Amino acid sequence: MAALQTTAISISQTNHLLEPNWAEITAITNETSDVSTYWLKFVDPSMQAGYSFKPGQFNMIYVPGFGESAISISSDSEDRDKIGHTIRFVGNVTRAISRLKIGDIVGLRGPFGSPWPVQEMEGKDIFIACGGIGLPPLRPVIYHIMHHREKYGKVTLLYGARTSGDLMYPTEYDEWRKADIDAQITVDRGDANWSGRVGVVPMWFYQFRLDARNTAVLTCGPEIMIRFVIYEALARRIPLENIFVSLERNMKCGQGSCGHCQLGPYFVCKDGPVFRFDALQPYFNVEEF
Amino acid sequence: MANNRRPEIGSTIAIQKPVFNIILRRLQENGYQIIGPRVKNETLVYGSIENMDELPYGYITEQKAGAFRLIQADHKHYFDAIPGAQSWKQFLFPPCVDLFTLRKNGNGWEISNSKLDSPSYAFIGVRACELAAIQIQDNIFMRPDFADPTYRERRQRVFIVSVNCLAPAGTCFCASMGNGPRVKDGYDLNLTELDDVFLLTVGSELARSLLDGIEYEDASAFMLTTAERSIERAAQQMGRTLDTNDLPELVLKNLDSPHWKEIGERCLSCGNCTQVCPTCFCWDAVDQMSLDGKTTSRTRVWDSCFNPGYSYLAGGNTRPTISSRYRQWLSHKLGTWKEQYGTLGCVGCGRCITWCPAEIDLTEEIAALRKETR
Amino acid sequence: MGTPDEISMELQKISWFRELEPKHLKKIAAISHLRKVRADEVLFREGDSEDNLYIVVEGRIALNIFVPHRGKVRIYTAEPLDVFGWSSVTPSVRQRTAGATAVIDSLVIGINAEKLRQACDEDHDLGYVVMRRLANIVASRLLVTRLQLLDMFANPESQNGK
Repeated sequence: MAALQTTAISISQTNHLLEPNWAEITAITNETSDVSTYWLKFVDPSMQAGYSFKPGQFNMIYVPGFGESAISISSDSEDRDKIGHTIRFVGNVTRAISRLKIGDIVGLRGPFGSPWPVQEMEGKDIFIACGGIGLPPLRPVIYHIMHHREKYGKVTLLYGARTSGDLMYPTEYDEWRKADIDAQITVDRGDANWSGRVGVVPMWFYQFRLDARNTAVLTCGPEIMIRFVIYEALARRIPLENIFVSLERNMKCGQGSCGHCQLGPYFVCKDGPVFRFDALQPYFNVEEF
Repeated sequence: MANNRRPEIGSTIAIQKPVFNIILRRLQENGYQIIGPRVKNETLVYGSIENMDELPYGYITEQKAGAFRLIQADHKHYFDAIPGAQSWKQFLFPPCVDLFTLRKNGNGWEISNSKLDSPSYAFIGVRACELAAIQIQDNIFMRPDFADPTYRERRQRVFIVSVNCLAPAGTCFCASMGNGPRVKDGYDLNLTELDDVFLLTVGSELARSLLDGIEYEDASAFMLTTAERSIERAAQQMGRTLDTNDLPELVLKNLDSPHWKEIGERCLSCGNCTQVCPTCFCWDAVDQMSLDGKTTSRTRVWDSCFNPGYSYLAGGNTRPTISSRYRQWLSHKLGTWKEQYGTLGCVGCGRCITWCPAEIDLTEEIAALRKETR
Repeated sequence: MGTPDEISMELQKISWFRELEPKHLKKIAAISHLRKVRADEVLFREGDSEDNLYIVVEGRIALNIFVPHRGKVRIYTAEPLDVFGWSSVTPSVRQRTAGATAVIDSLVIGINAEKLRQACDEDHDLGYVVMRRLANIVASRLLVTRLQLLDMFANPESQNGK
């Protein structure tokens, strides 16, 4: 048979579709009532040694019997020892994850997707506007800036959550501030114990002096919040190509093959999740698209 | 007329129809499983065949929106019945593929990957629209940066006998899409059925070797002219037309059109169109766990953008309405597909029209959208 | 507290006051006062008469509504450059619809609302600038309220009633 050639194309590649690599849960950090960070490490040490990701990328975490879920990586990309995933329990797979303990094994595929443009942003001021579970995919950016602080101009983080109890990583804000990152926190609903801001992320923009020509805006959070952040950024004359958005869609493969995560011509898993806004703009206000 | 020559690649020969059985037998001897159209339960399916007698000899099909019927033709041909709901997709991109099985082993899991091997298929009677669809799926599943192992494994061993389509049905519009009824490329053998002979154009070295020593003659000028005329006539007989002018732009400029809502009121979101479409490629992966929780198997299955759960995201669906799902399907097929893969995602086979229980016809919907924007 | 010159200087830090003609700025400075409030000090309570329009110079002022069984609900914080108590300048003056408390030590400018209304009535050029600015503030406050109402950070499953 080998001698016989048909017109069909031949591409050499041997991996199996969706085959997971195994990773152990080495620690669990409870963040809020329905969010925890799972610290994973590949069971195979050579796998761990060979693994690296860029800020903004995600992994597919697999719980046998329940399925896979796309989870952004929330840890330091320069820490090659462990991989952090901050997970909200809001679906079958993530609820199954919530029942796992330290020492349990999950499947891990990745990293997938486009990263935040941390290299391209060097020399610029950075304005990060995010909300709720939108901070975890941006935390690696914060760590990256902390490691290379001199490469960036003024760095502002505007982060909002529903209540003070819903804030992610509250114990780290002071470290970030020490690294000259202006971390400004706001909640939608305040109480007497909360001495910070009460209001919503997009509307605090007016408080900050932005050099429109030299500021990169990074945003992630609920799509409704992202929309209003972008309206504000555009009102402040930030050019479209300096606005970066991380989006969420249903994902099954991570390789732009299964079709689920399509947004217009894009496969969010492959062409995203981080998009430059000018690429998204034509589809941005189309409802249910 | 006995002939010991081997026809050259690109040449067209004529064989007596029964000689085709010899080619089928040689394919079998080479390990191929022959797949061809067969009549089953009053419709046409693709399945294993042993010889030509199992082909839908003498049949043509009558197709219109929401209707398919096999009827006996006045003339007797093997390859004049336009296919039913099934397409070759089911062999290269099977509706259900086992990926792997996991067995609980202490804290972790032991994996056994399912074997990728599949029969070597010989597809008999692949029409121009279907060949175009296979080429579109090649673009999807065998990208330079990611090749789907199950598809690649099957695809690279397929032997294709294509046919020039001479009796298009009422829902056909491959001529509008620019890929039929004449087969262009990508075949091992291309067949044109005349009343008394099969013309075969040789497309590969393997095909050439299969023809070694069989009885054939070079196609005469008369035969070639007859074939040409038949193909030209077929092109004029398309039951539908689709104006592809400015097509991605037309659809993408009208994503907010009220027309989608109107279609959404007729569409049942049953997903038939995506299942019968030879280019639709969306898939899902599902786990099945044993009751004792000790083993689980992961399976890849066809999915459809019409399934409500297709766009499920943390507590809700991105596309909760039927109109948004229809818009996704059509704006992908005739819009964003072009940016993704360089071609439109529709080959003009008409299956989605024939098999839509609500008789929704994408050629009509595009025409309506075009009219609205004028 | 504060001389008209000091107040005028503070006012000019706020971009929209820079649009005013000098005579208008002078007029507003004349009816304004600076007020220091310590952390937890109440600036006004719900039900008080609407005497002043306030601008935050430094610090943070919380707007609260008392809800039985829930206590004081903090609906908004006014930050530096922000205006609050704006309904005091609208035609139908009610009593305060929310209380204002300093979250941290703060400095605010209070503008006598009645006199500001009068000044705007008498000089429509001034009135136009002031009212246009107020409209902007109201629009932004309305947007905040809408986004808060949408509860955009809520767990989507609990929002869908699952």
